[in-house]
Amino acid sequence: MQSIENLVTQIQGLSSNASDITALKDYLKAAEDLLRSESTRLLSFLDQLDPSKHSLGYLYFLEPCMYCSITKERANTLVPIIARFITSCSAEQIRYVPEKFINVCKRYKDQVLLLEAPIRGVGPMLTAIRKIQSSTEHLTTLHPEFLQLCLLAKCYKAGLSVLEDDIYEINLPRDFFLYCYYGGMIFIGQKRFRKALELLHNVVTAPMSSINAIAVEAYKKYILVSLIHHGQFSSTLPKYTSSAAQRNLKNFSQPYMELVNTYNTGKIAELETYVQTNREKFESDNNLGLVKQVVSSMYKRNIQRLTQTYLTLSLQDIANTVQLNSSKEAEMHVLQMIQDGEIFATINQKDGMVRFLEDPEQYKTCEMIEHIDSSIQRIMSLSKKLTAMDELISCDPLYLGKAGRERQRFDFDDFDSVPQKFNI
Amino acid sequence: MASSSSSGLTFKLHPLVIVNISDHYTRVKSQMNHSSSATTTNDDNNNGAQPRVYGCVIGIQRGRTVEIFNSFELLYDPSTHSLDRAFLEKKQELYKKVFPHFYILGWYSTGSDAQESDMHIHKALMDINESPVYVLLNPSINPAQKDLPVTIFESERISVDHVAHLKPSDGGSAATQLAAHLTGIHSAIKMLNSRIRVLHHYLVAMQKGEIPCENSLLRQVSSLLRRLPAIESEKFQDDFLMEYNDTLLIAYLAMFTNCASTMNELVDKFNTAYDRHSRRGGRTAFI
Repeated sequence: MQSIENLVTQIQGLSSNASDITALKDYLKAAEDLLRSESTRLLSFLDQLDPSKHSLGYLYFLEPCMYCSITKERANTLVPIIARFITSCSAEQIRYVPEKFINVCKRYKDQVLLLEAPIRGVGPMLTAIRKIQSSTEHLTTLHPEFLQLCLLAKCYKAGLSVLEDDIYEINLPRDFFLYCYYGGMIFIGQKRFRKALELLHNVVTAPMSSINAIAVEAYKKYILVSLIHHGQFSSTLPKYTSSAAQRNLKNFSQPYMELVNTYNTGKIAELETYVQTNREKFESDNNLGLVKQVVSSMYKRNIQRLTQTYLTLSLQDIANTVQLNSSKEAEMHVLQMIQDGEIFATINQKDGMVRFLEDPEQYKTCEMIEHIDSSIQRIMSLSKKLTAMDELISCDPLYLGKAGRERQRFDFDDFDSVPQKFNI
Repeated sequence: MASSSSSGLTFKLHPLVIVNISDHYTRVKSQMNHSSSATTTNDDNNNGAQPRVYGCVIGIQRGRTVEIFNSFELLYDPSTHSLDRAFLEKKQELYKKVFPHFYILGWYSTGSDAQESDMHIHKALMDINESPVYVLLNPSINPAQKDLPVTIFESERISVDHVAHLKPSDGGSAATQLAAHLTGIHSAIKMLNSRIRVLHHYLVAMQKGEIPCENSLLRQVSSLLRRLPAIESEKFQDDFLMEYNDTLLIAYLAMFTNCASTMNELVDKFNTAYDRHSRRGGRTAFI
C-alpha cells in the first residue's frame, strides 16, 4: 500500500525525461484510489512539488481536491494555487492526462464564479487553452468555458484572440455549439455583427440528430442580428442544415418571426408598439437589448434605402421620410453612418443638403493587392482542406452504402450482385 | 509546312531529310530480307519485319525557328543502346567542312511511336545540343493516311539536371496551346529567376569580400538594373495596379467558384451519408 509521502518522492524523482514520466504515469494511475480517499490531506503536500517540473504529479494531486464541496473560503485558497499551476505547468506533461487538466480548469471556473470575480479566471484560462491545444485549429472543451468567463467579466477583447483562429478539429459537438454561441454573443457585444452572424449561423446549421436548446437560443439571436446587419431575414435555411433543425427551429421562435414581419413593413411606429406588447417575452430570453438595437437599425435601413432613390436630399426631407423628429437628428444619424462606412455621402451644412456618393474604392492601391493576395492564400488552404475532406467522405462506408442504395432504385437493367431490398 | 506546335517552336523539315530516312530504312530492310533468304537463321538484331534505323539530323536554328536541312546515318549498337560516338563525331567534322553553318539538331529513327529506350540516345545527344529534336518516321504504308507519317519530338529543359521530357509538337487544340503558352512563359521566368539568383549570389559574395571586386562587371550589372522600370509615371502606376487587381480578383473569383463547387459536393455526400431523414429522390438523375 502506497503512502502519500512515497508518491511525493516518486514524483520528485521521476519527472525529468519522457520515459520516466510514462513510468510515473502508470504509478500514479495505480494510486488514484489512494489519492481520492486522502483528498483532504493532499493540499498540504502540494508545497513539496514544483508545478513547472512536476506538472503531472501536481495535477494528479490537485484533481481530487476539486471533488469535495467547495465553500467560499476553500475557493479562496484554491484559486491562486490553480492559477499558479496553470501558468507555470509544462504543456507536454499535462498532455498525458488531458481529461484531468480539463476537469481542474472547469472546477476552477466554477470557483472563480463562486467568488464573483470572473475576471480573475480570464488570463489563466487563456493560458490553459493554449497549453492543451494540439494546434490553433483545435477546439477544446476549455474554449466555451473561457468564452463564458469573458462574457461574464465583460472582457470581450480577450475572447477575440481565441475567436480569430479558424477551427478544423473538434472533440465534442457540445463544445462547438457552446463555442459558437458564446462567440456570437461576444461579437454582438463588440458590435461586429457580421462575425456574430457567421458564428450563430454555424450553430443553427450544425449537424444535430435532434434539436437542442443552444440551437434554439442561437436561432433567436440569429434572427435579430440578421435584421440589424442585413435589414432582412430569410427563413429558409441552407441545405446543409440538419433536418431536425429545419423542421423545429421556427416553432420555438414565433414572436421573433412576427417581429421580422413587422420590421419588413418599414414603419417604425408599428415596430415599437410590437416590441412594447411583447416586452416580457424578449426580456425572458435576455434579448431585450438586442431588440432595441433592431429598432434603431430601422432608421439606418430607411436612410440606406434613400441612397438608392435620390442623389441629393435635404436633411429635413430625410427626417420626414424616416420619421425622425428633427433635421438635427437626421444629421446625427447620417454622420454616424458615414463614420461607420455604411453609406458614402457628404453633408453640406450651409444649405442642409446631403449628397449621396458612389463607393470611392478604385482598387488601384498596393494595400488592395496585399488584401486580395492574402484572401487568395486563405482560400487556397481552405480549398486543399475541402478536397481532402471530400475524398475522405467518398471513402466512408456509410456514404457508399447509401449512395449505392439510391442508385439501385432507378437502374433496373443493372444486375448488381449487391443485395437490394424492394421498397414498394 | 509544319503543323501546329505546342511549344512555341516552328519546325521546317526539308524533303531531303524525309527521302534520306526512307532510303536508309528501305536499304536496311531489303538487305535484311536478302540476307535472311540466304541464311535462314534469325538474327537477334532484326526487330522482326520492321528494323529500326538511326541517324542524325542537321540544320539551323534561328530564334524560335528550327530548320532541318540534311541528315546522315549512324550505327546503332544494340548491346549498349547507344550510337557510335566516334563515327558521329567524324561525320560531324566532315559535314562541318562542307556546311559550316549547320549544327546537329537532333536524331531520327523509324517506328510507330517513341519508346523509353530512345531516352538514352536522347540524353547522350544532349551534350552536343542542349535540347535535341527527335524525328520519327513511320514506315508502315497506310493508304488511308493523307499526311506524311513524320513526327517531331522535342525536349524541354525543365531543370538544370538534364531531365528530358518528350512532348509531341503537332496536333494542338486550344487547351494545349494555352498550356504550351503558359509553359513557355513559366520556363522563361524560371530561367530568368535562376540567372538573377546567380548574379545576386555573386554580388553578395563580392560584398562580403570573398571575391575580388571587378568594376567592369559591376558597371554592367548597374546598367542592367537601370533599364527597369521602363515607365515611371503615376498614371501608369494607377492603370497597372488596376489591371493587376482585376486579374487577381478574377483568379479569386475562380477559386471561390471552385471551392463552392467542392463544398456543394461535400454537403451532398454528407447529407446522403448521415442525415437520417433526408429527402428521397431529391435531385437524383433520371436515366
